[in-house]
Amino acid sequence: MKPTRPELPREFVAVHKQRRMIAAIAELSAEQGYEATKIADIVSRAGVARKTLYDNFDGKEDLFLSAFDLYFVEAKAAVESACEEAGEEWQARIEAGLAALLRFVAEQPAAARMCLVEALSATPRSSVSYDVALGAFVELLKASAPPNETLPKTIEESLVGGVAWILHQRIRSGQTQQISELLPELTRFLLSPYLGVTNSS
Amino acid sequence: MERLPRGRHGLSPEFVAQNQRERLITGLTEVLHEVGYQKTTVSLIGQRAAVSKSDFYKHFESKDDCFYAAYESAIERIRARILAACGAHPESEWPPRVRDGIASMIALLASDPPLAGITLVEGLRAGRGVYDRYQAAVESFVPLIRTGAPVAPGGTEVPAATDEAVIGGIASLLGRRVLAGEVEQLDQLTPAVLEFALTPYLGTAEARRIISAG
Repeated sequence: MKPTRPELPREFVAVHKQRRMIAAIAELSAEQGYEATKIADIVSRAGVARKTLYDNFDGKEDLFLSAFDLYFVEAKAAVESACEEAGEEWQARIEAGLAALLRFVAEQPAAARMCLVEALSATPRSSVSYDVALGAFVELLKASAPPNETLPKTIEESLVGGVAWILHQRIRSGQTQQISELLPELTRFLLSPYLGVTNSS
Repeated sequence: MERLPRGRHGLSPEFVAQNQRERLITGLTEVLHEVGYQKTTVSLIGQRAAVSKSDFYKHFESKDDCFYAAYESAIERIRARILAACGAHPESEWPPRVRDGIASMIALLASDPPLAGITLVEGLRAGRGVYDRYQAAVESFVPLIRTGAPVAPGGTEVPAATDEAVIGGIASLLGRRVLAGEVEQLDQLTPAVLEFALTPYLGTAEARRIISAG
């Protein structure tokens, strides 16, 4: 009997390979753009066979969209749990959620660049994914915001669009590592409409 | 689009060339609005503009080259409209300048769906070269709101990122509405956009006063 490596459960290996392919497309599209990223680059970066990629994904776009969805779900979960941990007070919740988002960008720069920069123009489907994701963050902000019947109905959509734009600009200009320095400014930006219609300040 | 008369017309070659170029730009903007970036072809643009394919290539190297020219011309139209509206007030009066600048921009976009489409939607979705122009265009509007911006209520300086976030937030909101097919109703968003834009600088109460005085 020949010696073998300890056998890992097949499912574990499969999931691990999927994660590696997802990380590879995030890194490569962050480094060189979606267009320039080839299947050959992805499989070599991920250390998987070409066939493995096609067994798991329909192709480059499908992998890109799967990666987007995965990182989006992770970022959203991070923001949601930060809001929960911050307690009941709305200002603390909004600030904690924003801080969690900035942390995600700083800790996962390739994923952040893929989701907040590349996805906007990579393919028509990826820009739809981007719009859907933006909408989900709009709902998160609404869930933490104080009662605000007199504010415009579109206020959260404008605020989230503004924050996404700032992150987009900072990522594009290579300032991902300093992103958490934006927390005070962006918190003030997010809170300002609500402060005008609530008594607490 | 007005065609020029055929045959002998005594128009200078420069005039004819300039007119063709403008027709191609208008043609691309309209076709784009109707069929989207992918299906917009040099043939369709030429047909719409009544310019032959070989004349198209005298003006532009490619569809994208024509797109860039159309994009820049669209942004210039918007900027000119904003500056004209701002110019009705002296430079020291930031609140009414910004109010009228933004309101006139939204009115222009609502009245011209192809213009709104190329600047707010297709610029984001038509590939890298166009996308870079979208990004530069949004950025180019930041100084319009930054110049002369007041100190926020409470006497503290409004952080620099706010100017960018306000401009980016407006572009994002309007783009989402155009994408949802609500371009002709953009006008209805004007008070909401103004409140969003003015509040960080003036506070809610003063922002609302300025908006209702407009």
